Amino acid sequence: MDRKNTSPASLGRISRRGLLSSAAASGALIAGGGLLTRAGAQDFSGSKLTYWGGLIFADAANQLLVDTITAWGAANGVETEVVMINQNETVQKVSAAVEAGTMPDALDVGLDLLLLMSKQGVFVTLDDLYEKVGAAQGGWYEAVALATDTTSIAGGRTGLPFGVSGNLLLRRTDLLEEAGLVAPPETWDELVEQAALVTKSPVSGLGLALSNVGDGNVQCSIMQSFGGRIADDAGKKVTIKSEETRAYLAWLKDAWDKGVFPPGNATWDGAGDNQAYLSGQAAFIANTGSVGIAAQKDDPELFEVTGFSSLPAGPIGTISPITPQTRAIPATSGNQAAAMALLEFLSQPEFLSQYYSLAIYGPVLNDQKAFPAFDGSDAIHSGLLDLVENGTAPGWPDVFNTAFADAYSNFIVPKMAQRVVIDGWDAERAMNEAQEQAQAIYDKY
Amino acid sequence: MAGSESRKPFSLGRMWSYAALLSATAIIAFPIYWMIITSLKTSRDIYRTPALWPSRITFDNYIKLFTEKHFLEPVLNSLLVATTVTVISVIISSFAAYSMIRFRYRFRGLFGKLILFAYLTPTSLLFIPISILMARLGLGNSLQGLILVYLSFSLPLSTWLLQGYFRSVPRELEEQGMIDGHSRLGALVRIVLPLSAPGIAAISIFTFTGAWNELLLALVLVTSESSRTAPLALNYLITSDVLPWGPLMAGAVISSVPLMILFFVAQRFMVQGMTAGSVKG
Repeated sequence: MDRKNTSPASLGRISRRGLLSSAAASGALIAGGGLLTRAGAQDFSGSKLTYWGGLIFADAANQLLVDTITAWGAANGVETEVVMINQNETVQKVSAAVEAGTMPDALDVGLDLLLLMSKQGVFVTLDDLYEKVGAAQGGWYEAVALATDTTSIAGGRTGLPFGVSGNLLLRRTDLLEEAGLVAPPETWDELVEQAALVTKSPVSGLGLALSNVGDGNVQCSIMQSFGGRIADDAGKKVTIKSEETRAYLAWLKDAWDKGVFPPGNATWDGAGDNQAYLSGQAAFIANTGSVGIAAQKDDPELFEVTGFSSLPAGPIGTISPITPQTRAIPATSGNQAAAMALLEFLSQPEFLSQYYSLAIYGPVLNDQKAFPAFDGSDAIHSGLLDLVENGTAPGWPDVFNTAFADAYSNFIVPKMAQRVVIDGWDAERAMNEAQEQAQAIYDKY
Repeated sequence: MAGSESRKPFSLGRMWSYAALLSATAIIAFPIYWMIITSLKTSRDIYRTPALWPSRITFDNYIKLFTEKHFLEPVLNSLLVATTVTVISVIISSFAAYSMIRFRYRFRGLFGKLILFAYLTPTSLLFIPISILMARLGLGNSLQGLILVYLSFSLPLSTWLLQGYFRSVPRELEEQGMIDGHSRLGALVRIVLPLSAPGIAAISIFTFTGAWNELLLALVLVTSESSRTAPLALNYLITSDVLPWGPLMAGAVISSVPLMILFFVAQRFMVQGMTAGSVKG
């Protein structure tokens, strides 16, 4: 699915207009006092509630969250403290807070940390709230519901989803159109062909990371789209070594030999691909949308010539994992009833419609598709809607268990790729090593 | 003779020396130069035209830093924390080091070793125990807590370094002072400390710099926006995988200024102090 940025999105602009719209939205919510207190049938007046929100790239969305929670607190007589936590440091903050017993009353938390902490009994279950919110807004998207189901590890659902992120393929339409390429690549082979056609110093066509960072794990999705798997259907026995993985490595080696990757992509940090694109040195990258927002704000000319589409497909189809974001309530919270009421309030369409228009998240509930943010006028949000409707659950077709998450965070697939393109190993040897390393991880669980 | 040496014609050897010095200076100064010019560029310039000179000089990054990100507050917090830690550290470590050098008591050597051992423990191993401790003391998420934690790291080093400087002060001078009517404390304050001034300046700089730059513990211990220190506030500018280089570099420039002034003013003491400590310690 191709989306061009024909309409400038107001979404996530860190500008006066964005901040004004955030303020206006908060004002509207505050004015609707009935709405603010509707969720809180119980009386929480005089209590205190601390909320840790996850900072995202869009300042206006961050501000809207803070203002809305503060307004909710004022309307319900709850003294609120909203602290925006840098998502890059959530793990350290939460780990220390769990040990010290200083967790907030509610917080935003990513899926990985939610699963890990839920297994340790850190969060309370939210099944009733989950059902209530879902029933009121057309039901949860299936991929979201499946991905965030913690019932098997925590005895119930501990996270209330509020947004979905994942990778879109960004491409330089100006360079590609010069080369006679209008449609986005449908397959990984087409992507390499297109990238090769526009590779000319200083532009390298294919800005995909091969390094040991989260972006490097796009390689895992590519391998899976070729039919390769990390483990079997039971999620126990590692099955990296296969003909399908060999086909993926052959594709990678071919692309590498064509010189379409930017220099240094095997050692990039998490911002490497984004910087390559924003500096005009890459024609394609896979990104969550933050690069689009950054270009829209700081380099409108680049944004104007940026096209967004789904990740290409491999021989077995497209593997495009979604990453749900959730809100959770720690078991140590002394004000769980108020926290529950706040989470319900933050799931109301009146707030989320405004929030989505500023943030870089896709919807989680079916009715949210009708929000203005997803009306098709904004390429990034259209891509995110497409992602949640057509994307795959985290890890799929592999089983997303603790062992998979461990292997994923140990960058087994990017390391295997590096062995082939950097160290010059043949596919057999690289697969053997990856198989051995991954099995050692799976054997721990 | 020194005078005739300085009037020597410009020899090839001297030219090489200057060339080497200039090269070293350029290598050291270039990152600072790059930081400054990046802070004066537009975001588009930073990414698209990474030139040695901005195509258009802008102060927008500084304006954004102070108006939208309220960077002055973290800078003031850092000043408060670093200054307090430095002052308390110098006072307590002076007494501790003096006690270890001049008094005889049981386990003195053991205390000395334990102090060093505490300093050598990696911070990354300690941040969770420290956060538990601070929470139980009711000092979590506060500048007072941060000051206390930084003191626990700066005091061992300061005490250990000061011992070296104090040893270099002849005991006879103190005894002479006490014969002239000074108390033990008076001898310490009026004789030992002034003679150890370079060492005290050196540990002050070390302590101040350490507290000013520290990030990991501040990240774990401080939550509220109003209690953030400068490194923490800079860290919070990075909210995604797209780095805001302009404001980041502007913040780095602002954060560097107090340290640059401090080093410029005290560099003479610093060199003297380090030399004294290393030789006589």
